[in-house]
Parts: sequence; C-alpha cells; structure tokens
Amino acid sequence: MDEARLTAWLRATTGDASLAIERASLLSGGAIQQNWAIDVSGGRSWVLRTDNAATLAVSHGRAQEFCLLRAAFAAGVTVPEPLFLCEDGAVIGAPFFVMARVAGTAAAHRVVRSDTLGGGREACVRALGRELARIHSITPPRADLAFLGPPPDDPCRAFIADQRAALDRQRHPRPVLEWGLRHLERTAPPPVAPVLVHNDFRTGNIMLDEAGVTAVLDWEFALWSDPHADLGWLCAKCWRFGNDANEAGGIGPRAALYEGYGAVDDARVRWWELAAHIRWASIAVDQAERHISGVERSLELALTGHMVPGLEWEILRIVEARDAA
Amino acid sequence: MLREPPDATDLLATARDVLLNELLPALPAEKAFAARMVANAMAIAAREAAQDDAWQGAALAHMGGDVRTFAAAIRAGAHDPGTPRHTEVATLLDDVTRARCAVSAPKVIAR
Repeated sequence: MDEARLTAWLRATTGDASLAIERASLLSGGAIQQNWAIDVSGGRSWVLRTDNAATLAVSHGRAQEFCLLRAAFAAGVTVPEPLFLCEDGAVIGAPFFVMARVAGTAAAHRVVRSDTLGGGREACVRALGRELARIHSITPPRADLAFLGPPPDDPCRAFIADQRAALDRQRHPRPVLEWGLRHLERTAPPPVAPVLVHNDFRTGNIMLDEAGVTAVLDWEFALWSDPHADLGWLCAKCWRFGNDANEAGGIGPRAALYEGYGAVDDARVRWWELAAHIRWASIAVDQAERHISGVERSLELALTGHMVPGLEWEILRIVEARDAA
Repeated sequence: MLREPPDATDLLATARDVLLNELLPALPAEKAFAARMVANAMAIAAREAAQDDAWQGAALAHMGGDVRTFAAAIRAGAHDPGTPRHTEVATLLDDVTRARCAVSAPKVIAR
C-alpha cells in the first residue's frame, strides 16, 4: 500500500493538511477483503477496508458496502461509523473506504466458549435480536440503496431461484442440495414484505466486548428479503461453531434472541435455517472452486470444499425431520 | 499389492503425528492455524486413500447413470414424498452422503 498517496488523499478529503499516518498494519482479514488498522495523527483510530485480488462475484463492492454501512448507522445499528469513501482505484490499487476502528473480538470459536462476552449469553443474544430489528427497519424503496435492485415479490421463492441458478453455474450437479431446495419449494411460507437483510449476520461477523455488541460487520451480501432469513442464518446449526445447545449462533438461547427481536414467526425462521445450510454449502462449493480452478490456490479454500458433505448430511436430517412432522 | 509398503494411509498418518506432536509445539502461535489445516488435509487424504470406492459405481447406477439427470428429476419434484421412488431416493442420498462424510467429515456421521 502506497502510504504517501494515501496520506495525500486523506489530507485532501479531511481538509487536515498536517494529517499523518503513524501506523498501518494488516488486520486478520477475510478471504474477500483486506482490512488495515490505520493510526492517524490526532489520536484517530481507523480501519481501511479494500478488496483482495480475487473477489467473489456475489459480494458488493466497497462503494456499495459504504452505502449500506451509512444506512445501518443512520438506523441505529451498532456499526463502525463510516467516514470516507475512495472509488479511485489509483490511490492504493483498489477502491476503499475508511471507518472508525471499534474494539472487541469477533473470533467465533472464542465467542461461543465465553460466558461473559457481549454482556453474558442471554443479554448478548437479546442485543443481537435488537440489532436485527434495527437492520430490518430499513425498507425499500431507498434511492441510496438502489444498487440492491428491485425487492422481490416473494423472498422465499426468490431465494430458491437464486440458489438453483448458483447450482446451475457450478461444475457438478448436487442432488442433496436439490433435495433440500425442492423441500423448501414444497414448504415455502407465503410472501412477506421485503426488508434490508444483512445476509451474513452470524457469530464471527459480530464484534463483542464484555459489555455488549460493539459492531455488526461484513455487509457485502446484504439484500432485500424476508427478515426471518437473518434470524435463520444466525440460528442455523452450521453457524453455532460446535456449541449446538445455544441455538442462537452458539452464543445464547433462541428465546432470548426472539425476545430481543420482537415479533418472530418461528416456522419461517426454521424454513430459513434449512435454507442457510443449503446456501452455505453452495458458497463452500464456490470457494473450493476458486482453489481447484487456480484463481486462488489456498489450503483454506480447499478444505472449505470438504465441509460440503457434512452440510449435506445435516440438510438430509432436517428435511427428513420436517417431512415426518 | 506390488506397491512398496507402508502405503499412503500409513505414511499420511505417521507424517501427521510428526506434524502435530513434534512440529506444532515448536511453531510460533501465528503458524498454528496453518499447521492444523495441513494436519486436517492429511487426515482427509488418508481417509480417502483407505476408502473402498466401489460405492461410487453402485450409487451412480442407482441414479440411472447420470447425476445431472437425477438432480434435475429431484428439482422437478419427481421424487417428492408420496411418489413411488421417494423412500428409495432418500435412502440413496443418505448412503452417498454417509460415504462422502466418511472421508470429509467423519465426526458428523459419528454423532
């Protein structure tokens, strides 16, 4: 990263001609983005978020993520305050944005083992329910979120169509994922008015400290959909990180999450929990494909592919139980 | 049986023990995740090497010889509950997935 060019850009953007970057270090980023911790003169602690070389086509770019963050911040969602957006790829090599740096930990395996993070298990998932309710208060139409496209008439059926299109783009047919999707089609609840859905609201993307939630992260998959999709993604067994008894993200009890949220249609959440396993399996297939195709050779991506059979097993068990009920 | 022992399964298991018991404790903390990933990959490869893969041919025959056509039939509802082959197809999917998990995710089916 060219710190001189970045400094010049930040000086021009903030109007602070003496602004200086005192320290820049790469944080443990995801597979898609790079996050840099930037310490700036005047005691300012920022995060600069930009793209890795290989980027998943399904995720929003930095400019869109910045708009989502702004909308969420305005709706009272606990997110890092979005500060500046740079769409000029020439400054550091790719578009980026700068946001406030927030303290806390998001590391999933640490979070599900802790009885105290987030203010304790019950308080934490109740707070997560409140965060989701705030996110879902954002409804279409929104000119600032026009890049999300028109909201679907029927979010559940739109999900099924999207997933089938994803399977059709993949190299190998997936009978078990088809089995799960067909079950979803047979049991789809009636249409519901779409709201802004975070679409990756899970343990690992939520930053916590001992007092509570400090930031809801990773907005790049957001879309207009059924609000229960976020509750189902958080509660899905595949995102409990082994702590299955705590059904809300491996963190706390489902009932407390629902209480924090407000009105919840539990049957819809359960439908979306099956949907979550199917979507995660399909993402895992795509991630392994990046390794197999040579786009990004990576042991982590290669091993992600081997999560698919386990997810399929869970899909078969859920479908079996739902058909028997 | 004309190959020289020890076989792939043995070599991978033995090498994995060295990695986890001798190398991992000597590695800096930030390299532990990578070492565990290597150990995981070796375990998957060892299970794959040890698995009798006759199940694949049998499953393919059960699917009518073409997985894509079979998957499309499921999508079209041809094997929904109440159809003649529903139970048979459900069992087939279970069997295939169990065999896939035996390599990729043995803990899932052990539960």
